[in-house]
Amino acid sequence: MASRRVAITGLGIISSLGLNLAETWESLRLGRPGIGPIKSLDCSTLRFQNGAEVRGYDATKHFEDGREAYFDRFAQFSVVAAREAMRHSGVELTPELRERSAIVCGSAVGGQSSIEAGFEDLWVQGRGRVHPLTIPKTMANAGASQISMDLGLSGPTYTISTACSSANHAIGQAFRLVRDGESDLAVTGGSEAMFTIGMLKAWEAMRVIAPDTCRPFSKDRRGMILGEGGGMMILEPLEAARARGAKIYAEVCGFGMTSDAHHLTQPTVDGPARAMRGALRDAGLAPEEIGYINAHGTGTPGNDPVESAAIRAVFRAHADKLAISSTKSMHGHALGAAGALEAVATVMALDQGILPPTANYSERDPECDLDYIPNQPRALRVQAALSNSFAFGGLNAVVAFRAASY
Amino acid sequence: MSDVVAEKVIATLASVKRIPAEKIALDTNLQELGIDSLDVFTLLFELENTFKISIPDDDVRSIRSVNDVVDGIKKILAAAPPQNSSSTSPAD
Repeated sequence: MASRRVAITGLGIISSLGLNLAETWESLRLGRPGIGPIKSLDCSTLRFQNGAEVRGYDATKHFEDGREAYFDRFAQFSVVAAREAMRHSGVELTPELRERSAIVCGSAVGGQSSIEAGFEDLWVQGRGRVHPLTIPKTMANAGASQISMDLGLSGPTYTISTACSSANHAIGQAFRLVRDGESDLAVTGGSEAMFTIGMLKAWEAMRVIAPDTCRPFSKDRRGMILGEGGGMMILEPLEAARARGAKIYAEVCGFGMTSDAHHLTQPTVDGPARAMRGALRDAGLAPEEIGYINAHGTGTPGNDPVESAAIRAVFRAHADKLAISSTKSMHGHALGAAGALEAVATVMALDQGILPPTANYSERDPECDLDYIPNQPRALRVQAALSNSFAFGGLNAVVAFRAASY
Repeated sequence: MSDVVAEKVIATLASVKRIPAEKIALDTNLQELGIDSLDVFTLLFELENTFKISIPDDDVRSIRSVNDVVDGIKKILAAAPPQNSSSTSPAD
């Protein structure tokens, strides 16, 4: 089977940091968080009031003739991000290429707001029936399906749902489809829109949401902040991208995945460490070649020390030379889209030579003893980077990226 | 009040973990009973419903023993009368 290098030729993103790549990157590179009071819902019955919502988004500007009504918000974000990524790629979609194009998306909760609206109709309003589009709007694959129809791509198309690792698993699968010659183009990433009262109540009950803000790796961290959005990348064989003179943002060069086989919510050091080693091995990279890690870094008391220990276990002495940040401190935890937003941040960091910081960092924690790029972005060109995602259920997925210039 | 709270906490804990109540004392460390964070959240959810209270996240982090849970609930009950808090149960 062919083994091809895989280029990233397009990026698209919609997040609390901005409605497109330029706006989002501007916030990331300045270390400016998009976290604030949740405006779309009445949160007065919740123990937390803050989130990272997409603001200023008008669906009617993206979808004509009332078509937005056929999409749950999460699927709208998929299409908006995929269109932008495709536009940036400049790729010409021939009939042959359309058939050989894959779409692999991640989403943890899919069309949560659509099913919840149906439940409200049934049990609160007592209407006795729900909207006829409840099923096709709720299904987690709606994002991938809508991209396929919107862009006219008809190759392998599916959604992976592995909670907070969904997008990284999706990117890893898309990478392998292109690397192995199964597909000649892939749209991959993830999207999520979890701001519903039912969903927020469920997170409240988990007791992992911070009442103030997200402070990854900082001693005074009090939990995560939920964030919505979507991120998509266009993957192509490197040779094809070079042949058509495409802008190459970076390469996806490795993917590692493991499971902890341990606990629904408590992470281990070993599972994430093995996933990072797997990504390095797959990429043919030595640990010393990694300069930046976009950490899972949820800002929970549990995750951050364990992830720090896992990084130290993999990188040993080099761990002290690594620049690490959690951009969740700015765009929040986007669950099944987290890996997608973070992949875009990581790829832009490699492309622009600016490492986004860990915002809201205030106090060193002896249990988190690495360099987390606190608060201030860092101008630094690195050769290669990892992006970590570790899910509830103990599912770990790590993607390795190489700068285009190396 | 104290007896009622302690009895309720022990009974709930016994029910959640399916262990005999006789094996649980006030000074029992939750970890010794094999209680993990998800068990604690489930226990507190049941107790919030029982006592019609809302237990803040920050109070939860310092819980080590059965007595920590009992004391915490007593403090909340003393500070405010039981309420029908909507943050305790969707059925409320």
